[in-house]
Amino acid sequence: MTNISPLNFVHKMGKFGDHDNKNESDLIKISEVSKLLIFQIAKYKNSDLNLSKISVDGLNLPSSLKSSSNSNTRILWLGPDNWLVFSSKIDLIGKVKNSVQDTDFAITNISHSRTIIELEGNLINEVLKKGCPLDINSFKEGECANSIFNGVNITIDFISDNPKKVRVSGLRSFGESLHHSITDACLEFGYKSI
Amino acid sequence: MLSIKCPFCGYRSQKEFAYGGDGTIRRPELNQDISDEKWNEFVYLRKSPRGKHVELWHHTAGCRQWFKVQRDTVTHEIFQTTKINEEIK
Repeated sequence: MTNISPLNFVHKMGKFGDHDNKNESDLIKISEVSKLLIFQIAKYKNSDLNLSKISVDGLNLPSSLKSSSNSNTRILWLGPDNWLVFSSKIDLIGKVKNSVQDTDFAITNISHSRTIIELEGNLINEVLKKGCPLDINSFKEGECANSIFNGVNITIDFISDNPKKVRVSGLRSFGESLHHSITDACLEFGYKSI
Repeated sequence: MLSIKCPFCGYRSQKEFAYGGDGTIRRPELNQDISDEKWNEFVYLRKSPRGKHVELWHHTAGCRQWFKVQRDTVTHEIFQTTKINEEIK
């Protein structure tokens, strides 16, 4: 296990691309989100548990293509009976494991295997469209989707519509490549790394 | 480029999917005596139909589920997609 963030060697602070003579509020803001607890919840096929009774940090497990969130925790739908949890509460996984039967769910800590890039700005949809085949404009706040960005598997969490903010997460080992792809797509709009 | 309707995620680009072969093949029953010829047929022999065909596809970069697609191999028109445990009508 390492405490070095996945983008430690590539995510440099500053303004890049076509940022001259532009208001800072018009620039895309890119940041790395690290030090979160990330775990996957998968319900076993032979479990007939009622999901509405399950609560993770006070949140229900969301339905297809939706996310549920509070100030500390975000839960994303990954697929049928499969969810991804991001939380700043590091001890949450222990609490969840204690609150459910291990015959119903497989709960796996994958905190060190993901990289998360947060994008904010009015033009982030245009950036995502460059590498991702999703109909990006149809996604709204509180939704999420798995897809690809320039061939790298990603999960997009649409956090907010105003201001526009998304989190793109992918495998840690693809992190630097994904970061390069996204920042390259941002160059023509100008971006600020924070 | 095909636009394929995943039964779980809706319409997505073909880029997110992987083709999984003939969807009509049935594995021989378990605990039955199977001839080498039948095994060979199950493992290796596939038809290459012209026209409507039921195929398996995997939403590799999405929900990671297998599902069935009825597609025309000439025009690439997709008529129907269903979950893996449902029958194409």
